[in-house]
Amino acid sequence: MNALDVAVGQPPGRPVSGRHLAVGAGAAALVLVPLIWIDPTTYLVLTVAGLAMGMLLFLTAVGLTLIFGLMDVLNLAHGAFFAWGGYVGFSVLQRLDALGWVETGSLGQSVGSTLLALAAAAGVGAVLGVVVERVVVRRVYGDHLKQILITVGLSLVMAEVIKIVWGPNDEMVLVPQALQGSYDLFDVVVNRFRVLAVVVGVAVFGGLHLLLRRTRLGLVVRAGVENREIVEVMGYDIGRIFTAVFAGGAALAAVGGAMWAVFREQIHPGMGDENLILALIVVIIGGMGSVTGSFVGAVVVGLAFNYVSFLVPKLALGVNILIMVIVLLLRPQGLMGQE
Amino acid sequence: MASRAVPLNPTARGAGRSRDRARLLAAGVRALVLLGFVLGPWIFPSFRAMDVLAKIMIFAVVVASYDLIIGYTGIVSFAHGMFFGLGAYCLALVIHHGGEPRGFHLAVALVLAVGLSSVLASAVAFFSLRVKAIFFAMVTLALAEFAHILGGQWTSLTLGEDGVSFRLPGVLGVGWNGGGVLGVGVDGRLITYYAVLGVSVAVFVGLLRFVESPVGRVIESIRENERRATALGYRTFHYQLLATVVGSAGASIAGVLFAGWVRYVNPESVLGIPVMLNILLMVIIGGLGTLYGGIVGAAFIVAAETWLPELQKAASTLLPGVEIAQRLAERWVLYFGILFMLVVFLFPKGIMGAVRQILARREPARTGGQ
Repeated sequence: MNALDVAVGQPPGRPVSGRHLAVGAGAAALVLVPLIWIDPTTYLVLTVAGLAMGMLLFLTAVGLTLIFGLMDVLNLAHGAFFAWGGYVGFSVLQRLDALGWVETGSLGQSVGSTLLALAAAAGVGAVLGVVVERVVVRRVYGDHLKQILITVGLSLVMAEVIKIVWGPNDEMVLVPQALQGSYDLFDVVVNRFRVLAVVVGVAVFGGLHLLLRRTRLGLVVRAGVENREIVEVMGYDIGRIFTAVFAGGAALAAVGGAMWAVFREQIHPGMGDENLILALIVVIIGGMGSVTGSFVGAVVVGLAFNYVSFLVPKLALGVNILIMVIVLLLRPQGLMGQE
Repeated sequence: MASRAVPLNPTARGAGRSRDRARLLAAGVRALVLLGFVLGPWIFPSFRAMDVLAKIMIFAVVVASYDLIIGYTGIVSFAHGMFFGLGAYCLALVIHHGGEPRGFHLAVALVLAVGLSSVLASAVAFFSLRVKAIFFAMVTLALAEFAHILGGQWTSLTLGEDGVSFRLPGVLGVGWNGGGVLGVGVDGRLITYYAVLGVSVAVFVGLLRFVESPVGRVIESIRENERRATALGYRTFHYQLLATVVGSAGASIAGVLFAGWVRYVNPESVLGIPVMLNILLMVIIGGLGTLYGGIVGAAFIVAAETWLPELQKAASTLLPGVEIAQRLAERWVLYFGILFMLVVFLFPKGIMGAVRQILARREPARTGGQ
């Protein structure tokens, strides 16, 4: 057990508090900078919107970063799980609406339909993830070029299958009644759905943190990120852990897709690619392999996008690229990445 | 190159003879292909056939330049479509914003395309390649998407989603007419065709010379074993940077040719993700690390894209009313995707690689018999 403890534990004597406090203070100051140009009420609205967007991005990015950290696989098909989740959520909501649950039902029914849609998306994402990992990705471990090519091909195929099953056109997504409208807190108008997004994102982050830090499985996964061979030598079947992490990442991406579908009230087969690109930026900013990093990166991207699109709409899409370039220049391993 | 069989005793007469024969065969095939492109307008005297041939030439250059990056250097770039689009937009915008089309506009566009793409490729390589080769894939993917959006949004420069349509100057213009030769009209189209052919061949030969040069050998050795190349004293980043810049510049030249041939560009047709996916399909199907595979892959995909829609129409009339059959027939990109994955799994060196392997296998068998 000693080797494993050393591999996963924090290196002794690492100066945690001082440096982390300074970084945290700097980040907080950066977040407040837009207040110079934006009045506080609008600022709060934008902040909530940015956090919600960040949480949705986090759901995709966390799978990407864990799959890369643990398996050394750049999974460019990850966006396809996101799109599948969106379409599954859409179908579930449509079925339930036929029962009168979604747009007209009681509070319990519409909350229930939301949960059902998310659960169905997660289930389909997990099953697809298991199949994809077992059938395709497993064959290309250790070969970056082949991984990239195979997962690009895979995302193409998965997007095309969406077009066969659901048709190639945009679809309108029904929004459960409980999520329509917004809360009004002292003139700060907060869309209900955004609150849900933030709650789900923080819950997933907290849950993952507990899973990785407090359970046996999490211990093995973190050890695998550090050193795969030693975990195998310790007698763990790394193949099954790979499958589990891949399926879990796919399920989270699918949940993100279903939430995105409700948020935008619209889905299209290309939604996976767009999301993948943002998630990649998040992962680069946060650091490959770091869950906390992708959480921070997602919040940074979400907030920056919303502030800038309010201040300088034309620059909004470039600001993420700009942040990525700055991070690559100053700290190439990402904010929370190692080495 | 590991795939090329080298006989243990090069003076053995049988081996030498069959190697000569193989070399002669390859040279013959090359000459035939070139002749086909030169005489194309006379062999298939229709605009559509000429269009297909011109696009094959242009995409062969795009794919060969991409092969230099992905096949020879082993770096995955998703910005190759962006550099192609950059070249296309250089020509379109120089002519659009330059008033009456003039000859020197072409030269300006070419210089601008090569210059801009070199600078941009160096910057991307500096930011991402320096860190980790896999970052290059991620950064270029993000950047290419950004360029696509920029092409649609920066309306004052690029005219947005509407795209730019323009005329070419002088003998390249559609209006110009120089009579006819053997039943084929010599007009602006035909002259443009030969201009495209000339530039394509020049760039292709240039790329061939580059990969065969000592620098090209170093680049391949870095792909095979970067640590070893470093240990031998090569600055691997410099070589990777050079390969990326040369490849990207090649793509931008092909972009100029594409815009010149089609005389219209919009963000979707030259900057979109489908363009990049097509280039990837071509290079994988043709064969990584072969350069000539670019011609094969480009021919395959361009021909398929031209004639598949008709095939699909025929298929849907065969099975009228069966909706799922209709949908399956419509989605030919799906079959490309499946084909792509199968090729990556089963023939990692593509069509050219498979052909070379078969030839290499036959060679020792023949020498053994003598």
